[in-house]
Amino acid sequence: MHIPDGFLAAPTWTSTWLFSIAGISVCLKKVTMVLEDRIIPLMGVMAAFIFAAQMLNFPVAGGTSGHLLGGALAAVLLGPYAGAVVIAIVLIVQCLVFQDGGLTALGANIFNISFIGAGGGYIIYRCIARIKNDRRGVIIGAAVAAWLSVVIASFACAVELALSGTSPFRIVVPAMLGVHILIGIGEAVITTGVVSFVLKVRPDLIYCPKKEECQ
Amino acid sequence: MHHCYIDRHSGIDSFIHRLDPRIKLLSLITFLLFVMFTAPDSYIAYFLYGALIIALIALSQLPVTFVLKRASVIILFVAFIAVFIPFTKKGEVCAASYAGALQPTVCYGGWHMFFAILLRACLSVLCTVVFMSSTTFSDFLKALERLKFPSLVIMILSFMYRYIFVIQDELMQMWRAKESRSVGGAKKLHVRALANMIGVLFIRSYEKAESVYISMCSRGFAGGIQTMNHLKLKTADVFFFLIIVAALSGIRVLKG
Repeated sequence: MHIPDGFLAAPTWTSTWLFSIAGISVCLKKVTMVLEDRIIPLMGVMAAFIFAAQMLNFPVAGGTSGHLLGGALAAVLLGPYAGAVVIAIVLIVQCLVFQDGGLTALGANIFNISFIGAGGGYIIYRCIARIKNDRRGVIIGAAVAAWLSVVIASFACAVELALSGTSPFRIVVPAMLGVHILIGIGEAVITTGVVSFVLKVRPDLIYCPKKEECQ
Repeated sequence: MHHCYIDRHSGIDSFIHRLDPRIKLLSLITFLLFVMFTAPDSYIAYFLYGALIIALIALSQLPVTFVLKRASVIILFVAFIAVFIPFTKKGEVCAASYAGALQPTVCYGGWHMFFAILLRACLSVLCTVVFMSSTTFSDFLKALERLKFPSLVIMILSFMYRYIFVIQDELMQMWRAKESRSVGGAKKLHVRALANMIGVLFIRSYEKAESVYISMCSRGFAGGIQTMNHLKLKTADVFFFLIIVAALSGIRVLKG
Protein backbone atom coordinates (compact mmCIF):
# COMPACT_ATOMS: atom_id res chain seq x y z
CA MET A 1 0.00 0.00 0.00
CA HIS A 2 3.05 2.26 0.08
CA ILE A 3 2.49 4.50 -2.93
CA PRO A 4 5.70 5.14 -4.91
CA ASP A 5 6.57 8.50 -6.45
CA GLY A 6 4.88 9.36 -9.72
CA PHE A 7 1.55 7.71 -9.08
CA LEU A 8 -0.08 10.75 -7.52
CA ALA A 9 -0.86 14.05 -9.22
CA ALA A 10 0.72 17.20 -7.80
CA PRO A 11 -2.44 18.57 -6.11
CA THR A 12 -2.99 15.25 -4.35
CA TRP A 13 0.50 14.76 -2.97
CA THR A 14 1.02 18.37 -1.98
CA SER A 15 -2.29 18.55 -0.11
CA THR A 16 -1.73 15.22 1.67
CA TRP A 17 1.79 16.37 2.60
CA LEU A 18 0.43 19.54 4.17
CA PHE A 19 -2.27 17.62 5.97
CA SER A 20 0.22 15.08 7.28
CA ILE A 21 2.62 17.72 8.58
CA ALA A 22 -0.25 19.43 10.40
CA GLY A 23 -1.56 16.11 11.69
CA ILE A 24 1.79 14.91 12.99
CA SER A 25 2.49 18.15 14.79
CA VAL A 26 -0.91 17.98 16.48
CA CYS A 27 -0.30 14.35 17.47
CA LEU A 28 3.19 15.15 18.78
CA LYS A 29 1.77 17.99 20.88
CA LYS A 30 -0.94 15.76 22.30
CA VAL A 31 1.54 13.00 23.15
CA THR A 32 4.06 15.43 24.65
CA MET A 33 1.35 16.79 26.96
CA VAL A 34 0.94 13.34 28.50
CA LEU A 35 4.43 11.88 28.30
CA GLU A 36 6.66 14.99 28.34
CA ASP A 37 10.28 14.00 27.75
CA ARG A 38 9.47 10.31 27.95
CA ILE A 39 7.99 10.61 24.46
CA ILE A 40 11.43 10.47 22.84
CA PRO A 41 12.64 7.02 23.89
CA LEU A 42 9.13 5.58 23.98
CA MET A 43 8.14 6.62 20.45
CA GLY A 44 11.55 5.64 19.10
CA VAL A 45 11.60 2.19 20.67
CA MET A 46 7.96 1.55 19.78
CA ALA A 47 8.65 2.49 16.17
CA ALA A 48 11.52 0.02 16.20
CA PHE A 49 9.15 -2.56 17.68
CA ILE A 50 6.51 -2.09 14.97
CA PHE A 51 9.28 -2.17 12.38
CA ALA A 52 10.61 -5.47 13.74
CA ALA A 53 7.12 -6.96 14.07
CA GLN A 54 6.47 -6.18 10.41
CA MET A 55 9.36 -8.45 9.46
CA LEU A 56 7.73 -11.61 10.76
CA ASN A 57 5.95 -13.49 8.03
CA PHE A 58 3.12 -15.83 8.77
CA PRO A 59 1.56 -18.33 6.38
CA VAL A 60 -1.67 -17.35 4.64
CA ALA A 61 -3.78 -19.67 2.52
CA GLY A 62 -2.33 -20.88 -0.74
CA GLY A 63 1.37 -20.81 0.05
CA THR A 64 1.56 -17.04 0.28
CA SER A 65 2.62 -15.25 3.41
CA GLY A 66 1.59 -12.02 4.98
CA HIS A 67 2.97 -9.81 7.66
CA LEU A 68 1.62 -7.52 10.32
CA LEU A 69 1.11 -3.88 9.36
CA GLY A 70 0.61 -2.79 12.94
CA GLY A 71 -1.50 0.35 12.52
CA ALA A 72 -4.41 -0.81 14.63
CA LEU A 73 -2.09 -2.64 17.03
CA ALA A 74 -0.12 0.52 17.73
CA ALA A 75 -3.31 2.53 18.17
CA VAL A 76 -4.87 0.01 20.58
CA LEU A 77 -1.71 -0.40 22.66
CA LEU A 78 -0.47 3.20 22.65
CA GLY A 79 -3.54 5.29 21.96
CA PRO A 80 -4.54 7.20 18.83
CA TYR A 81 -1.99 10.02 18.92
CA ALA A 82 1.04 8.01 19.95
CA GLY A 83 0.01 5.22 17.60
CA ALA A 84 -0.23 7.61 14.67
CA VAL A 85 3.18 9.11 15.51
CA VAL A 86 4.82 5.69 15.73
CA ILE A 87 3.38 4.55 12.42
CA ALA A 88 4.37 7.83 10.76
CA ILE A 89 7.96 7.40 12.02
CA VAL A 90 8.05 3.86 10.66
CA LEU A 91 6.78 5.11 7.30
CA ILE A 92 9.42 7.85 7.18
CA VAL A 93 12.21 5.32 7.77
CA GLN A 94 10.75 2.85 5.28
CA CYS A 95 10.54 5.59 2.68
CA LEU A 96 14.01 7.04 3.20
CA VAL A 97 16.04 3.95 4.02
CA PHE A 98 14.27 1.20 2.13
CA GLN A 99 12.61 3.26 -0.61
CA ASP A 100 9.33 1.59 0.28
CA GLY A 101 6.99 4.39 -0.77
CA GLY A 102 8.10 7.55 -2.48
CA LEU A 103 9.26 10.77 -0.87
CA THR A 104 6.68 12.93 -2.62
CA ALA A 105 4.04 10.31 -1.84
CA LEU A 106 5.16 10.08 1.80
CA GLY A 107 2.52 12.59 2.85
CA ALA A 108 -0.20 10.49 1.26
CA ASN A 109 1.21 7.31 2.79
CA ILE A 110 1.29 8.86 6.25
CA PHE A 111 -2.22 10.18 5.71
CA ASN A 112 -3.57 6.75 4.66
CA ILE A 113 -1.76 4.38 6.95
CA SER A 114 -1.14 6.50 9.99
CA PHE A 115 -4.15 8.83 10.22
CA ILE A 116 -6.85 6.92 8.37
CA GLY A 117 -5.54 3.46 9.31
CA ALA A 118 -4.29 3.82 12.86
CA GLY A 119 -6.42 6.84 13.88
CA GLY A 120 -9.58 5.50 12.24
CA GLY A 121 -8.87 2.05 13.63
CA TYR A 122 -8.69 3.50 17.11
CA ILE A 123 -12.10 5.18 16.80
CA ILE A 124 -13.66 1.89 15.74
CA TYR A 125 -11.91 0.06 18.56
CA ARG A 126 -13.10 2.56 21.18
CA CYS A 127 -16.69 2.43 19.94
CA ILE A 128 -16.81 -1.35 20.28
CA ALA A 129 -14.88 -1.44 23.55
CA ARG A 130 -17.24 1.12 25.06
CA ILE A 131 -20.36 -0.82 24.11
CA LYS A 132 -19.00 -3.99 25.64
CA ASN A 133 -16.86 -2.77 28.49
CA ASP A 134 -14.86 -5.87 29.35
CA ARG A 135 -12.07 -8.13 28.10
CA ARG A 136 -14.18 -9.54 25.28
CA GLY A 137 -15.07 -6.05 24.13
CA VAL A 138 -11.42 -5.03 23.91
CA ILE A 139 -10.51 -8.13 21.92
CA ILE A 140 -13.46 -7.91 19.53
CA GLY A 141 -12.82 -4.19 19.13
CA ALA A 142 -9.17 -4.82 18.32
CA ALA A 143 -10.07 -7.48 15.77
CA VAL A 144 -12.64 -5.35 13.97
CA ALA A 145 -10.40 -2.29 14.14
CA ALA A 146 -7.44 -4.21 12.70
CA TRP A 147 -9.45 -5.50 9.77
CA LEU A 148 -11.16 -2.21 9.08
CA SER A 149 -7.97 -0.16 9.47
CA VAL A 150 -6.36 -2.07 6.61
CA VAL A 151 -9.48 -1.85 4.46
CA ILE A 152 -10.15 1.87 4.97
CA ALA A 153 -6.48 2.72 4.51
CA SER A 154 -6.47 0.90 1.18
CA PHE A 155 -9.71 2.65 0.27
CA ALA A 156 -8.12 6.04 0.99
CA CYS A 157 -5.15 5.01 -1.12
CA ALA A 158 -7.47 4.00 -3.97
CA VAL A 159 -9.37 7.28 -3.75
CA GLU A 160 -6.11 9.24 -3.97
CA LEU A 161 -5.05 7.27 -7.01
CA ALA A 162 -8.44 7.84 -8.62
CA LEU A 163 -8.35 11.56 -7.82
CA SER A 164 -4.90 11.77 -9.40
CA GLY A 165 -6.34 10.34 -12.60
CA THR A 166 -3.96 7.40 -12.40
CA SER A 167 -6.70 4.85 -12.50
CA PRO A 168 -10.49 5.25 -12.68
CA PHE A 169 -12.58 4.75 -9.60
CA ARG A 170 -14.39 1.67 -10.83
CA ILE A 171 -11.14 -0.25 -11.32
CA VAL A 172 -8.81 0.87 -8.56
CA VAL A 173 -11.31 0.77 -5.69
CA PRO A 174 -12.46 -2.84 -6.18
CA ALA A 175 -8.88 -3.95 -6.90
CA MET A 176 -7.43 -2.38 -3.76
CA LEU A 177 -10.34 -3.35 -1.54
CA GLY A 178 -10.42 -6.91 -2.85
CA VAL A 179 -6.79 -7.50 -1.97
CA HIS A 180 -6.89 -5.73 1.37
CA ILE A 181 -10.06 -7.41 2.59
CA LEU A 182 -7.97 -10.59 2.56
CA ILE A 183 -4.83 -8.99 3.98
CA GLY A 184 -6.97 -7.51 6.73
CA ILE A 185 -8.00 -10.96 7.95
CA GLY A 186 -4.40 -11.88 8.74
CA GLU A 187 -3.91 -8.49 10.36
CA ALA A 188 -7.00 -9.02 12.52
CA VAL A 189 -5.89 -12.51 13.62
CA ILE A 190 -2.41 -11.38 14.67
CA THR A 191 -3.58 -8.15 16.28
CA THR A 192 -6.18 -10.04 18.31
CA GLY A 193 -3.56 -12.53 19.43
CA VAL A 194 -1.15 -9.81 20.52
CA VAL A 195 -3.79 -7.74 22.29
CA SER A 196 -5.20 -10.72 24.17
CA PHE A 197 -1.68 -11.72 25.22
CA VAL A 198 -0.82 -8.25 26.52
CA LEU A 199 -4.23 -8.10 28.20
CA LYS A 200 -3.39 -11.31 30.02
CA VAL A 201 0.19 -10.46 31.00
CA ARG A 202 0.45 -6.68 31.36
CA PRO A 203 -3.04 -5.16 31.05
CA ASP A 204 -1.69 -1.92 32.53
CA LEU A 205 0.30 -1.24 29.37
CA ILE A 206 -2.77 -1.02 27.14
CA TYR A 207 -3.72 2.59 26.53
CA CYS A 208 -6.87 3.76 28.18
CA PRO A 209 -8.15 7.31 27.80
CA LYS A 210 -9.80 7.53 31.25
CA LYS A 211 -8.31 5.53 34.04
CA GLU A 212 -11.58 4.78 35.85
CA GLU A 213 -13.06 3.18 32.75
CA CYS A 214 -10.47 0.44 32.65
CA GLN A 215 -10.84 -0.99 36.15
CA MET B 1 21.29 -13.47 12.63
CA HIS B 2 19.89 -12.03 9.47
CA HIS B 3 19.48 -8.31 9.65
CA CYS B 4 18.14 -5.72 7.32
CA TYR B 5 21.22 -3.61 7.02
CA ILE B 6 20.49 0.05 7.15
CA ASP B 7 23.92 1.46 6.42
CA ARG B 8 25.04 -1.41 4.27
CA HIS B 9 26.73 0.50 1.47
CA SER B 10 27.20 3.87 3.06
CA GLY B 11 30.83 3.19 3.93
CA ILE B 12 32.08 3.19 0.34
CA ASP B 13 34.54 5.94 -0.41
CA SER B 14 33.22 7.69 -3.49
CA PHE B 15 32.51 11.22 -4.62
CA ILE B 16 28.80 10.91 -3.83
CA HIS B 17 29.51 9.37 -0.43
CA ARG B 18 31.83 12.22 0.48
CA LEU B 19 29.29 14.90 -0.35
CA ASP B 20 27.72 16.83 2.47
CA PRO B 21 24.49 15.06 3.51
CA ARG B 22 22.61 18.37 3.41
CA ILE B 23 23.58 18.78 -0.23
CA LYS B 24 22.49 15.24 -0.95
CA LEU B 25 19.13 15.79 0.67
CA LEU B 26 18.56 19.06 -1.16
CA SER B 27 19.66 17.55 -4.47
CA LEU B 28 17.29 14.65 -3.95
CA ILE B 29 14.35 16.93 -3.27
CA THR B 30 15.20 19.17 -6.23
CA PHE B 31 15.52 16.18 -8.53
CA LEU B 32 12.22 14.69 -7.39
CA LEU B 33 10.40 17.99 -7.89
CA PHE B 34 11.81 18.37 -11.39
CA VAL B 35 10.81 14.83 -12.33
CA MET B 36 7.33 15.18 -10.83
CA PHE B 37 6.58 18.37 -12.74
CA THR B 38 7.72 17.18 -16.16
CA ALA B 39 5.01 16.82 -18.81
CA PRO B 40 3.94 13.20 -19.41
CA ASP B 41 4.90 13.11 -23.09
CA SER B 42 8.38 14.71 -22.97
CA TYR B 43 10.27 11.46 -23.27
CA ILE B 44 13.56 13.16 -24.13
CA ALA B 45 13.49 14.93 -20.78
CA TYR B 46 12.92 11.63 -18.98
CA PHE B 47 15.73 10.07 -20.97
CA LEU B 48 18.10 12.86 -19.97
CA TYR B 49 17.08 12.61 -16.32
CA GLY B 50 17.77 8.90 -16.59
CA ALA B 51 21.22 9.56 -18.01
CA LEU B 52 21.92 11.92 -15.12
CA ILE B 53 20.85 9.27 -12.62
CA ILE B 54 23.00 6.61 -14.27
CA ALA B 55 25.96 8.96 -14.07
CA LEU B 56 25.26 9.51 -10.38
CA ILE B 57 24.99 5.75 -9.74
CA ALA B 58 28.30 5.24 -11.52
CA LEU B 59 29.88 8.04 -9.47
CA SER B 60 28.57 6.61 -6.23
CA GLN B 61 30.13 3.14 -6.84
CA LEU B 62 27.10 1.50 -5.26
CA PRO B 63 26.72 -2.10 -6.47
CA VAL B 64 24.29 -2.07 -9.39
CA THR B 65 22.50 -5.20 -8.16
CA PHE B 66 21.90 -3.51 -4.83
CA VAL B 67 20.47 -0.40 -6.49
CA LEU B 68 18.18 -2.46 -8.72
CA LYS B 69 17.06 -4.63 -5.83
CA ARG B 70 16.15 -1.60 -3.76
CA ALA B 71 14.41 -0.01 -6.73
CA SER B 72 12.36 -3.15 -7.34
CA VAL B 73 9.97 -2.29 -4.48
CA ILE B 74 7.87 -0.35 -6.99
CA ILE B 75 7.21 -3.46 -9.10
CA LEU B 76 4.25 -4.55 -7.01
CA PHE B 77 2.53 -1.23 -7.40
CA VAL B 78 3.29 -1.05 -11.10
CA ALA B 79 1.92 -4.54 -11.62
CA PHE B 80 -1.21 -3.82 -9.62
CA ILE B 81 -2.16 -0.32 -10.62
CA ALA B 82 -0.18 0.95 -13.58
CA VAL B 83 -0.93 -1.89 -15.99
CA PHE B 84 -4.54 -0.79 -16.19
CA ILE B 85 -3.73 2.76 -17.19
CA PRO B 86 -3.42 2.26 -20.98
CA PHE B 87 -6.86 0.70 -21.09
CA THR B 88 -8.70 3.26 -19.07
CA LYS B 89 -7.82 6.58 -20.64
CA LYS B 90 -10.19 8.01 -23.20
CA GLY B 91 -8.91 9.66 -26.35
CA GLU B 92 -7.57 8.89 -29.78
CA VAL B 93 -7.59 5.11 -30.10
CA CYS B 94 -4.32 3.52 -31.17
CA ALA B 95 -5.25 -0.13 -30.83
CA ALA B 96 -8.44 -2.00 -30.20
CA SER B 97 -9.13 -5.65 -29.78
CA TYR B 98 -12.31 -7.64 -29.60
CA ALA B 99 -12.01 -9.92 -26.65
CA GLY B 100 -15.60 -10.78 -25.92
CA ALA B 101 -17.69 -8.15 -24.21
CA LEU B 102 -14.77 -6.22 -22.72
CA GLN B 103 -13.28 -4.86 -25.94
CA PRO B 104 -10.17 -3.33 -24.42
CA THR B 105 -9.02 -0.30 -26.34
CA VAL B 106 -5.71 1.43 -25.91
CA CYS B 107 -5.39 5.15 -26.48
CA TYR B 108 -2.34 7.31 -27.04
CA GLY B 109 -3.15 9.35 -23.96
CA GLY B 110 -3.18 6.19 -21.90
CA TRP B 111 0.21 5.10 -23.19
CA HIS B 112 1.74 8.48 -22.44
CA MET B 113 0.30 8.40 -18.95
CA PHE B 114 1.48 4.83 -18.39
CA PHE B 115 5.05 5.52 -19.47
CA ALA B 116 5.16 8.82 -17.63
CA ILE B 117 4.13 7.18 -14.35
CA LEU B 118 6.49 4.27 -14.89
CA LEU B 119 9.42 6.56 -15.73
CA ARG B 120 8.70 8.96 -12.89
CA ALA B 121 8.46 6.09 -10.42
CA CYS B 122 11.71 4.50 -11.66
CA LEU B 123 13.67 7.74 -11.78
CA SER B 124 12.58 8.86 -8.33
CA VAL B 125 13.26 5.53 -6.69
CA LEU B 126 16.71 5.30 -8.29
CA CYS B 127 17.52 8.82 -7.23
CA THR B 128 16.39 8.14 -3.67
CA VAL B 129 18.53 4.98 -3.55
CA VAL B 130 21.63 6.80 -4.76
CA PHE B 131 21.42 9.70 -2.35
CA MET B 132 20.06 7.87 0.69
CA SER B 133 22.15 4.69 0.48
CA SER B 134 25.32 6.74 0.20
CA THR B 135 24.59 8.52 3.50
CA THR B 136 24.80 6.95 6.93
CA PHE B 137 21.61 7.32 8.89
CA SER B 138 23.28 9.37 11.60
CA ASP B 139 24.72 11.78 9.02
CA PHE B 140 21.31 12.07 7.48
CA LEU B 141 19.79 12.95 10.85
CA LYS B 142 22.51 15.51 11.39
CA ALA B 143 21.69 17.03 8.03
CA LEU B 144 18.04 17.27 9.04
CA GLU B 145 19.11 18.92 12.28
CA ARG B 146 21.19 21.51 10.45
CA LEU B 147 18.32 22.15 8.05
CA LYS B 148 16.17 23.09 11.06
CA PHE B 149 13.94 20.04 10.94
CA PRO B 150 11.87 19.71 14.18
CA SER B 151 14.24 18.32 16.80
CA LEU B 152 11.61 16.13 18.46
CA VAL B 153 11.13 14.09 15.29
CA ILE B 154 14.90 13.85 14.81
CA MET B 155 15.39 12.57 18.35
CA ILE B 156 12.64 9.99 17.92
CA LEU B 157 14.18 8.88 14.63
CA SER B 158 17.61 8.59 16.22
CA PHE B 159 16.17 6.41 19.00
CA MET B 160 14.43 4.25 16.48
CA TYR B 161 17.68 3.83 14.59
CA ARG B 162 19.48 2.81 17.78
CA TYR B 163 16.91 0.26 18.87
CA ILE B 164 15.92 -1.30 15.55
CA PHE B 165 18.80 -3.72 15.78
CA VAL B 166 18.36 -4.49 19.46
CA ILE B 167 14.69 -5.29 19.09
CA GLN B 168 15.13 -7.15 15.86
CA ASP B 169 17.76 -9.26 17.55
CA GLU B 170 15.41 -10.16 20.38
CA LEU B 171 12.72 -11.08 17.90
CA MET B 172 15.14 -13.24 15.90
CA GLN B 173 16.19 -15.05 19.06
CA MET B 174 12.59 -15.81 19.93
CA TRP B 175 11.91 -16.86 16.37
CA ARG B 176 14.85 -19.20 16.35
CA ALA B 177 13.82 -20.70 19.68
CA LYS B 178 10.32 -21.28 18.35
CA GLU B 179 11.57 -22.78 15.10
CA SER B 180 13.94 -25.15 16.86
CA ARG B 181 11.24 -26.38 19.23
CA SER B 182 8.29 -26.76 16.90
CA VAL B 183 8.13 -28.92 13.84
CA GLY B 184 4.89 -29.21 11.93
CA GLY B 185 1.75 -28.89 14.01
CA ALA B 186 -1.42 -27.01 13.29
CA LYS B 187 -1.14 -23.66 11.59
CA LYS B 188 -3.34 -22.16 14.28
CA LEU B 189 -0.75 -22.89 16.95
CA HIS B 190 1.98 -21.26 14.89
CA VAL B 191 -0.07 -18.13 14.48
CA ARG B 192 -0.77 -18.05 18.20
CA ALA B 193 2.92 -18.50 18.99
CA LEU B 194 3.70 -15.66 16.61
CA ALA B 195 1.13 -13.38 18.22
CA ASN B 196 2.47 -14.19 21.69
CA MET B 197 5.96 -13.50 20.46
CA ILE B 198 4.96 -10.05 19.23
CA GLY B 199 3.18 -9.51 22.54
CA VAL B 200 6.33 -10.39 24.50
CA LEU B 201 8.31 -8.15 22.23
CA PHE B 202 5.92 -5.27 22.88
CA ILE B 203 6.20 -5.64 26.64
CA ARG B 204 9.98 -5.90 26.51
CA SER B 205 10.24 -2.89 24.21
CA TYR B 206 7.99 -0.84 26.44
CA GLU B 207 10.00 -1.73 29.52
CA LYS B 208 13.20 -1.04 27.65
CA ALA B 209 11.94 2.41 26.67
CA GLU B 210 11.10 3.18 30.29
CA SER B 211 14.49 2.10 31.57
CA VAL B 212 16.19 4.01 28.77
CA TYR B 213 14.31 7.11 29.84
CA ILE B 214 15.30 6.62 33.48
CA SER B 215 18.94 6.21 32.58
CA MET B 216 18.73 9.26 30.31
CA CYS B 217 17.37 11.28 33.22
CA SER B 218 20.03 10.01 35.61
CA ARG B 219 22.65 11.19 33.13
CA GLY B 220 21.21 14.67 33.04
CA PHE B 221 18.93 14.65 30.02
CA ALA B 222 17.38 18.09 29.69
CA GLY B 223 15.17 17.76 26.65
CA GLY B 224 17.79 17.86 23.96
CA ILE B 225 20.65 15.84 22.58
CA GLN B 226 23.86 17.65 21.79
CA THR B 227 25.82 16.10 18.98
CA MET B 228 29.15 17.07 17.56
CA ASN B 229 28.86 18.97 14.36
CA HIS B 230 31.38 17.79 11.83
CA LEU B 231 29.41 18.83 8.77
CA LYS B 232 31.23 21.44 6.79
CA LEU B 233 30.14 22.75 3.42
CA LYS B 234 33.02 22.41 0.96
CA THR B 235 33.27 24.16 -2.40
CA ALA B 236 32.88 20.79 -4.12
CA ASP B 237 29.51 20.36 -2.40
CA VAL B 238 28.22 23.72 -3.52
CA PHE B 239 29.48 23.09 -7.06
CA PHE B 240 27.80 19.70 -7.13
CA PHE B 241 24.48 21.22 -6.11
CA LEU B 242 24.82 24.00 -8.67
CA ILE B 243 25.67 21.51 -11.40
CA ILE B 244 22.67 19.34 -10.52
CA VAL B 245 20.34 22.32 -10.52
CA ALA B 246 21.84 23.63 -13.76
CA ALA B 247 21.55 20.24 -15.45
CA LEU B 248 17.97 19.80 -14.32
CA SER B 249 16.89 23.26 -15.38
CA GLY B 250 18.79 22.79 -18.65
CA ILE B 251 16.79 19.66 -19.37
CA ARG B 252 13.63 21.43 -18.36
CA VAL B 253 14.21 24.45 -20.59
CA LEU B 254 15.35 22.30 -23.47
CA LYS B 255 12.48 19.86 -23.38
CA GLY B 256 9.91 21.21 -20.93
